[in-house]
Amino acid sequence: MKAVGARLPRYDGLAHTTGRTVYVDDVRVAGTLVAKALRSPHHHAAITRIDTSKAEKLPGVRAVVTAADVPKNVYGHLEALGVPADEPLLADGEVRYRGQPVAAVAAEDVETAHEAVAAIEIEYEERPALFDIRKGLDPDAPSIHQWGPVYPHFGPYNHRRVRKGDVEWAFEKADVIVEGAYRPAAIEHCPLETQIALVVPEASGRLTVYTCTQAMYFSLGVIAAHLQVPLNRVKLIGGTVGGGFGGKVDTAAETITCLLALKAHRPVKWRWTREEEFLASSTRAPWHIEIQDAVSNDGWMLGRRMLTLHDAGAYARFSPYGLTKHGFHHTGAYTIPNVHFDGFVVFTNRVPTTAMRGFGVTSVSMAVELQMTRIAETLGLSPWELRLKNANRIGDTTANRVVMQDPSTVPVTLAAAERVGERLGPEYTAMTPARRSGELLPEHLAAQQAPEGAHVLSNGGRS
Amino acid sequence: MARHQGRGFATIEYPTGMNQNGDPTQAWIKLKPDGRVDVFSGTVDIGQGSKTVHTQIVADTLGVPYDWVTMDNSNTDSSAVCTGTFASRGTFIGGNAVRFAAERVRERILDIASKELEIDPGDLEIADGEVVAKGAPNRKISVADVAGAATYNYGELISGQGTALKPFAEVNDDDGSVQAEPHSAVSYAACVADVEVDDETGEVTVSRLVQVYDVGRAINPVLVEGQIEGGAMMGLGLGLLEESYPHYPSAEHRGEQFGAYLAPAIEDLPELDNVILENPSVDGPFGAKAIGEMANNAQPPAIAAAIHDAVGVWVTEYPATPERVLRAIKARAQPRREGKRVIFDEEISLRTVSANGGAGFLEV
Repeated sequence: MKAVGARLPRYDGLAHTTGRTVYVDDVRVAGTLVAKALRSPHHHAAITRIDTSKAEKLPGVRAVVTAADVPKNVYGHLEALGVPADEPLLADGEVRYRGQPVAAVAAEDVETAHEAVAAIEIEYEERPALFDIRKGLDPDAPSIHQWGPVYPHFGPYNHRRVRKGDVEWAFEKADVIVEGAYRPAAIEHCPLETQIALVVPEASGRLTVYTCTQAMYFSLGVIAAHLQVPLNRVKLIGGTVGGGFGGKVDTAAETITCLLALKAHRPVKWRWTREEEFLASSTRAPWHIEIQDAVSNDGWMLGRRMLTLHDAGAYARFSPYGLTKHGFHHTGAYTIPNVHFDGFVVFTNRVPTTAMRGFGVTSVSMAVELQMTRIAETLGLSPWELRLKNANRIGDTTANRVVMQDPSTVPVTLAAAERVGERLGPEYTAMTPARRSGELLPEHLAAQQAPEGAHVLSNGGRS
Repeated sequence: MARHQGRGFATIEYPTGMNQNGDPTQAWIKLKPDGRVDVFSGTVDIGQGSKTVHTQIVADTLGVPYDWVTMDNSNTDSSAVCTGTFASRGTFIGGNAVRFAAERVRERILDIASKELEIDPGDLEIADGEVVAKGAPNRKISVADVAGAATYNYGELISGQGTALKPFAEVNDDDGSVQAEPHSAVSYAACVADVEVDDETGEVTVSRLVQVYDVGRAINPVLVEGQIEGGAMMGLGLGLLEESYPHYPSAEHRGEQFGAYLAPAIEDLPELDNVILENPSVDGPFGAKAIGEMANNAQPPAIAAAIHDAVGVWVTEYPATPERVLRAIKARAQPRREGKRVIFDEEISLRTVSANGGAGFLEV
């Protein structure tokens, strides 16, 4: 019997549905301490004094850690890929979002851990905060990040740019220019399993980390970098996660728990409360997207100007990556020969935003598809036919010059139309993803088309 | 006061693999002396079912029964590098890693079977756990016996490793162009949403979602349907219900528990009609592309379009909560026309909201 294509039950389905799967919180190790964090109550403030001595002296408290205890406090998940780091593991001298971890404690029981957090003496000096990305470059915007109001490291630029063809020509040539603004919201990942880690310091000197990470080697690298140890000092045990959706790419609980376990010489578990999961764990990013589309009366997409602001929250995390992906895909499932895209990662004083299902492209779909419907409405055309006419086809190139090998805009659109009984003109129902020719290859689409066999069209579409 | 029906749709695309690549997954496989297969891969199963899918890929690549294959993705000591479960990379990249490893194991099985049967390995094939001579089905040896012979006669551990990696694709910062494909495959989907809008309460009910996904090849159709239906519910949340900051951009009044944050529940479940298309990819495992992340991308704009179809207003700030829908119905905003420009949404635009008309963002 062939396994591929078979409707086989899940490998782990019975264990999940009968409660026999072992998640991190199910692991029991004798002598495990409880961790709790001191988190910032302010959106933006300087830390003018911190004194942990009273907390450390409380009976039952086994470790207190602050920024001073972290061998390498500032490290980023994407540092190895050229995205420099800006975020401290534990706040150092200032806090930039409400909920930011400043210190952590490990104690014999949860009550003592809470007492210890309360016994840490800390004083803040509040600073003005920024929340509206549209005001990030206002002359009177407060200064909130060492790199300035926006992420400045897209090569020589402070924004990601995508340019193709001759956008001026397209807007000149257009019969109609349709302009709209779209604002996808931040949402929560809402995993049933909150962020959690259990760290056991072994007699061998190694650390065993029971983890809920979605990316064990990502997290292994991040933990080892913060601790400044080689990869074989840390063993991650995981692979089974109680809901991730992108939020568990962050390595949220593991590293601080390692620091506590190393300092206490005891196993430590840090399980975030539901309130911490909602308020202090990352969210999907909010976006602000403005689109201007140059279209002809008969429904050709001639050109697009698009400006995207991505709300990073207080630190960069994966935002530059997500914005670049957004820019690469900003034309959606359609071929637009002339484009001018600028995207900014804007810092605010909210919880850093991070990866979530569809990262960078969900926002494209939400903006571009509603825009397409508006264009059809404005021109008095069928929204189905507008999409089919401008669909990605074999040999078309994307905004960043990638040649499409097997695009399916046409098949999925036609299958959906058929399923709901939408009547389309015969020239549309006969469409396939085949290379453009005849009426589907008007002059304005000729330059962007790649020769057969090409995978990338270098300098393609330049006029 | 009335309830209005509307229909909207959206067509989307989504890439597989980390943008710009450079994200390896490695796997290795060993055989037990009875031919049973141990797979070690670091792909984390976040509920999407990658362990199941990888097991299916290994079973068919080797030609052994599905229940011979055991997956271990439990730790970083026994598993090799997997960059992670994100970017919809589990089936394509993780699946290719275990496939490549299985292809090497298959070669070793055939080499040893060749010695035992005294037949050229090129004339052998593996099916249902047996190595059989092509055209001579009586001349065969079980994979179990091959593994036993390897272990006890030839002194070999039958094993194999595989790495799936596309090298990092540099981007030109001036124009965003790349010199190599920055992804592994691209999947497509279309979604039709039928909604009902109550013009008194602003409430939007999605009655039906028709969803079409081209996944290249559905390695496991049940799991693909699971992604389609689970993704649909997340898309409903994005389109109608969820927002971390109910007064965005203000950071105040955040929901801090499930009772104060509206995620979709089973009462929100519409009728779901799923269609799976299979236009195979060139180099994915068995032609697979991906589905994971894209499954919540098409519903929000389809629902927003359906709201317009029902009551004639555009809600472009997501989610389309009853408040936003009611405000839009009350405002009945019309675009401003200036020459050939048709300008929507000016009140939320950068030009309006920022102190200096968006200078700095607009002039680069």
